[in-house]
Amino acid sequence: MGSLAIFAGGFGSGKSEVAINFAIDMASKSQKIVFADLDLVNPFFASRDAREKLISENIRLVAPGGELAFGDVPNLPTDIIALMKQDNDMLIDLAGDEVGSLVIGYLSNLVVERGDYQFYLVINPYRPFAGELESIKELRQHLEKAGLIKFTGIISNPNMVEETNLDLVLKGHRRVVEFAAKLELPVKYLTVEERIYNCLPHEYRSIAKKITLYLRPGWLHGSGGGK
Amino acid sequence: MNKVLMKGNEALAEGAILAGCRGFFGYPITPSSEIAEYMARKLPKIGGIFVQAESELAAINMVYGGAATGTRVMTASSGPGLSLKQEGISFISEAELPCLIVNISRGGPGLGGIQPSQGDYFQATRGGGHGDYHTMVLAPASTQEMMDFAILGYELADRYRIPVVIMAEGTLGNLMEPVIVRDEVTSFPEKPWAISGCQGRKPNIVNTLHLTAEGLEQRNRHLFSKYKEIGMNEKRAETFMVEDADIVVVAFGLLARVIKRSVIDARKHGIKAGLIRPMTLWPFPDEHIKAVADTCKVMLSMEISMGQMIQDIRLAAEGRVPVEFYGRIGFLPNPEELTREIIALAERKGL
Repeated sequence: MGSLAIFAGGFGSGKSEVAINFAIDMASKSQKIVFADLDLVNPFFASRDAREKLISENIRLVAPGGELAFGDVPNLPTDIIALMKQDNDMLIDLAGDEVGSLVIGYLSNLVVERGDYQFYLVINPYRPFAGELESIKELRQHLEKAGLIKFTGIISNPNMVEETNLDLVLKGHRRVVEFAAKLELPVKYLTVEERIYNCLPHEYRSIAKKITLYLRPGWLHGSGGGK
Repeated sequence: MNKVLMKGNEALAEGAILAGCRGFFGYPITPSSEIAEYMARKLPKIGGIFVQAESELAAINMVYGGAATGTRVMTASSGPGLSLKQEGISFISEAELPCLIVNISRGGPGLGGIQPSQGDYFQATRGGGHGDYHTMVLAPASTQEMMDFAILGYELADRYRIPVVIMAEGTLGNLMEPVIVRDEVTSFPEKPWAISGCQGRKPNIVNTLHLTAEGLEQRNRHLFSKYKEIGMNEKRAETFMVEDADIVVVAFGLLARVIKRSVIDARKHGIKAGLIRPMTLWPFPDEHIKAVADTCKVMLSMEISMGQMIQDIRLAAEGRVPVEFYGRIGFLPNPEELTREIIALAERKGL
C-alpha cells in the first residue's frame, strides 16, 4: 500500500511546513506521492499555499479547492477516500488541536486498513501551551481521542522563525526530549532550517532533518516585527 | 526576557490578560477565533470569566454589563460580527464604559470572504453605530504590537472612559512571530463611576436615555469635548524615510510593513519614497500628514479596500498635495507589486 505519514499537533506547531518538507524529500524516491492538506479549520498559512512547489515536484495535492480553497467549512476533499485505498505514498497534514484531528478520526478505519503508518505529534516548545508537560499531555490525549489512532512518534520542531539560533534549537529540543520520555514516545526527527542544520553538533545528525520554510512571507525578514 | 512564538490573535489575547482583562464575551468567527480559544483556555484558570454567547448581540451587551462593573472586559470578532455589535457599541460609547473591542478583519460586504481586509475602516473610525460618537481605533502592524496595543488599549479606555477598537487584518491575526511577553499590569485607575455595590454611597446609574432636548445636547457636547481632548493627546503614527520623500505612501496595519520593503526598493530605483503608518486610525494622525504635505510631491494611500482612509488623508492634506490611491481586495499584496505601483506613480508624475 505504500507509506502513510500523518502530521498532527497544536495550532502553529509547524505541521504544515514539516509535512511539505517531508513530501518534497520523498519526491526523489517515489513517483506516487499524495499530499493531503486536510486543514479545514483555518485557511491562513495552510500547506495548499505551497501548491505550485508541490506540483513542480510531481506531488499530487489533495486539498479543499476552487471556491473553498480559502474556506473554513468542513469540506473534506472527496477523492481522499479512494486515494487512501490505493497504492501510493501519502502524507496527511491536519489542522491544529483536537478539532483538526477529528478529520483523521473520520478516516481512522482507512488508516488502520493501510497497515503501516506514522502518526506524528509535532511539537514546538516555544509556542503557547507547548512549553509545559501538562499541556502537552492534555494535547496528546485530546488528539488521540479525536483521531482514534495512537501516536507513533514525535517530531521536535523548536523554532522562533526568523529569530531561531542554534542555542535556542538545542534548548528547545532538550525540552521536547524530556516531554517524549514522559509521554513514552520516541523522538523520530528534529527539524531545523538549513542554516541551523549546518552547525548542529554531530550527535543530533541521526535524527536531524533539514527544512525550508515555504509558507513564510519573505518580506517579513527585517520588516520591523518584534520591536 | 521571555519570548514566545505567537500568532497575532494569541498575542493580543495574552496582552489583554496581562492588562488585567478578566471577562471575555464573544461569538467565534474566522479569522478572529483564536482570541476566543485562547481566552477560553486561560481566563477560567486565573479567576476570569469566558462566555461564548448565543450571538454577537448578546456578547456585546455582556461587555456593556461587565464594563459597567469597572472590570476590564473585551470582545473579539470580524466584520460581520462587528456589524451586529454596533448597537451595543453605541450604547457603551454613550455610557462611557471602557472596554476593548477587537476586529480581526475579513473581506466584505455581506458575508464576503475570510480573506484579510481593511474594508471596515469607515465602520471603525466613524463610530459605526447610531448617533454622534467615536471609539478610539488602534491599528497594530506586528504580532508584538498586537500584545502591546491590547495593553495600551485598556490604558486609553480607562483614561478616557471610551471603548477602544483594535483593528488588524486577518493575516496579522494568524501570523506567527516571536513576541516579548510584557510584564503584568499591576496598577489600575480608580473607577468611582462603576456599579460595584453601593454600600455607604449613592448608587451609580448607567443609563443612555436622555429624554429632554437640553439633557441630550449636553451629553453630546460632553462626549465631543472628550473626543477633542483625545484628538489633542493621542494621535500616533510611525514615519519612515519621509524627510526628503517625493512620494509619501500612507498605509496601516500589516500592509504597512510590506510597503516598508517597497519604499526601500523604490529608493534603490532612485525614487524618493517614504511611508506614514497611522497607528491610531481614530484619532487620525493628521498632523503627520500636514507635516509633509508641503514637502512631498504626491501622497499615495495604499489600502486593502476600495479606498476609505484616503478620505482622511485628503482632509488632512487640505488640497496642498494630490493624494492618489492603490488598493487590492482579498489578499495582502507582495512588496514587488507595491514597488511597481510606486515606480509607475513616479513615472506618471515625472519624479
